[in-house]
Amino acid sequence: MWFFTGPSLAYGPGAIEFLASLQSKKSMIVADRALVKGGLVAPVVEQLTKAGAEVEVFGEVDPEPLMSRVQEGAEVARRFAPDLIIGFGGGSAMDVAKAVYALYERPELTVYELTPIVDMVLGVKSRLVQIPTTSGTGSETTWATILTEGEGGRKLELAHRELVAKWAILDPLLTRSMPARLTADTGADALCHAVESMSSDWSNPFSDALAKEAVLLIFRYLPRAMKVADDPDARENMHYAATMAGLSFGNSQVTIGHALGHAFGSVFHVPHGRAVGLFLPYAIEYNFASAKPKFGNLSQVLGADSVRSPQDLSARVRSLWDEIGMVRTVPEIGGITRERFESSLPDLVRRTDESTCVTTNPRSPSKKEIEEIFRAAWDGRPVTL
Amino acid sequence: MAKFPSQEWVDLFKESLNQNKNYEDAALTWEGDFVFLILPDETLKAPVALYLDLYHGKCREARMLSSPEEKSAAFIYQGPYGNWKKLIGKEIDPIKGMLTGKFKLKGQAMKVMSYTRAAKELVETATKIPTEFD
Repeated sequence: MWFFTGPSLAYGPGAIEFLASLQSKKSMIVADRALVKGGLVAPVVEQLTKAGAEVEVFGEVDPEPLMSRVQEGAEVARRFAPDLIIGFGGGSAMDVAKAVYALYERPELTVYELTPIVDMVLGVKSRLVQIPTTSGTGSETTWATILTEGEGGRKLELAHRELVAKWAILDPLLTRSMPARLTADTGADALCHAVESMSSDWSNPFSDALAKEAVLLIFRYLPRAMKVADDPDARENMHYAATMAGLSFGNSQVTIGHALGHAFGSVFHVPHGRAVGLFLPYAIEYNFASAKPKFGNLSQVLGADSVRSPQDLSARVRSLWDEIGMVRTVPEIGGITRERFESSLPDLVRRTDESTCVTTNPRSPSKKEIEEIFRAAWDGRPVTL
Repeated sequence: MAKFPSQEWVDLFKESLNQNKNYEDAALTWEGDFVFLILPDETLKAPVALYLDLYHGKCREARMLSSPEEKSAAFIYQGPYGNWKKLIGKEIDPIKGMLTGKFKLKGQAMKVMSYTRAAKELVETATKIPTEFD
């Protein structure tokens, strides 16, 4: 037995108006700092106040959010006592919103207890709604929240089924102002979700169907969304593709690509999408023998007659990466010397090995193999383990 | 062929685990003992507890306890006999088993979630033991 869970979806250009129908008396918005500074939270506040709600904005969320930020947000929630908590922004804001929601609902819990094996009943005081302003993270659909323990600390991959939002509002108009680099990084993240979900040990017919459609849409629309900022068709399709990929991996999990990316991103402070995107082709090559039918399926979605070698799919991904200017090797990230990379390897290997993302990888990687994948990503050579 | 649960089975399990290089690699820094608690159901009449002292990729001690109360451990992984049979028969994934309520884990959950590869290898080892059930 297994489950397929996700939020109800309100989607389409202008879907933000759905907020007004949620009949909230007190709404708390958890938002990215940059969005608050840029005045982009105003339409959300407007919809809520128009419907008669009192609104509190917690706009303190930065990329790679710290656990301490969650504690601050939970304090605000306890004082304000909202009946609606809204995550607004990229993955960081939505992840923080999930954790704030949990600690507000259950003040006796600690962040460390947000694991799937703890009994938890949420949703007594409030409802959780997620509104993504980027197209990639999938956090609006999932049960996971990624928090950093402290400056330079490890990334905690926390999750609980009760953290899935009641509603996700997908308004592609909110993504129109995304810069090209952010479009590429977040779009790469969405592709990683779909490909890794498909090859996960926990993949299932529902997650596979969504992953295949997401891969098709991302290959078709990501280059367009990146090159022509105001392409409404590309923006809308990418927004939905990211949510499909989110629903997919939210119910089957990601694999070693994300484990490597989380470790690398936390050590070298590389944006999440770029870090996981860097490792996707290497993850495909490493997992190829253990998930050949699944990768073959994806290659066929992309038009191939069959898949014979790991490079058939990884080359397609690398070609997309070239088109959108995504890095293919560690040195292309910039600012990381060989010496620093080498000295960080033991830490990178340990963090990858401890990642919950390797749990569902179709192949159990040894520490030596993890190190070899990192070295391949430095050299830019295929993984042949 | 060893009957599950029995001292003979847990002896074989210890031996197999200590030969499993993948487990050793995944659990190299693990410190913490486990009790596998097999709860009664329509087949098993009384609870049975198996104690495992797991340390740095090796199993230092493995034995069947005279009762679940005989020894406490940092972690207790428990479920009904029928679910253990399915786990050893590879019909249940050890982590999914917890998420679907077929097994419960008592102990520091966050610590275990950092060693899920070791947990998988631990169960993988159990599935390879020639086992007979009632």
